[in-house]
Amino acid sequence: MLILSRKTGESVIIDGRIVVKIIRTDGDTVRVGIEAPSSIPVHRQEVYEEIQRANREAATRAPHGQIPPLLGPQGKSLLASKPSLPSKPSDAILSAAPSDFSPAANQKHSRTV
Amino acid sequence: MSSVAEIDITKTLQVQVQLPLGLLGFERIKTYSLVTKPDQEPFLWLAVPEGEDLAFLMVPPNLMLPDYAPELSDEDADFLEIRNPNDALVLNIVTLKSDGSATVNLKGPVVINRHTMIGKQLVLSQQDCAIKHPIRTS
Repeated sequence: MLILSRKTGESVIIDGRIVVKIIRTDGDTVRVGIEAPSSIPVHRQEVYEEIQRANREAATRAPHGQIPPLLGPQGKSLLASKPSLPSKPSDAILSAAPSDFSPAANQKHSRTV
Repeated sequence: MSSVAEIDITKTLQVQVQLPLGLLGFERIKTYSLVTKPDQEPFLWLAVPEGEDLAFLMVPPNLMLPDYAPELSDEDADFLEIRNPNDALVLNIVTLKSDGSATVNLKGPVVINRHTMIGKQLVLSQQDCAIKHPIRTS
């Protein structure tokens, strides 16, 4: 691992396109600003690992692209919860918009993690 | 006519979706099919069309959680070319447990541009979004 010392306000540049800047320090907390192209995902490691784990747990075997029937005890009880849902959800999925979808006020191309 | 006879599996709807960054932990896989089956609504599948025996069960969150409001950062909006909320299709991954319970991942929604069908799994910084939000089953 490459270890560097940086002062507040100083940066490190990776691969000519990813800038990691030390914004401020407060005790054992360091605020870091990261500028990277949008094709490069940036995540807090523990959150990344948690979602990665959840995705692996959710992954279902679908041999030869066949969609598994939602049967068995799990699927049946899941579908049984349907009465509380609108009658034609596929219409909603394909046409309706999520009304409460709110763009965050983040500064463009700049992330503070 | 019995209600069983009305279920027509030929009405399965299939749309290709590109996830250029993949799902977290499945970064390698970038092309999926979004498959809806009438008898499985409101759930749908994000399935890998060929090569891999893999599918994810998905659900549109607002049917169950009307207050759920994922925040899209400007850079994600740029990446997905989403200009207004109507452009976005939000789906959340469902985990079925062997004990019959089910959870939905609210922290990492998959947001898809309805026009380009290009999507991304977001990681929300919102504190109130659980990775394993229980789905009430009967």
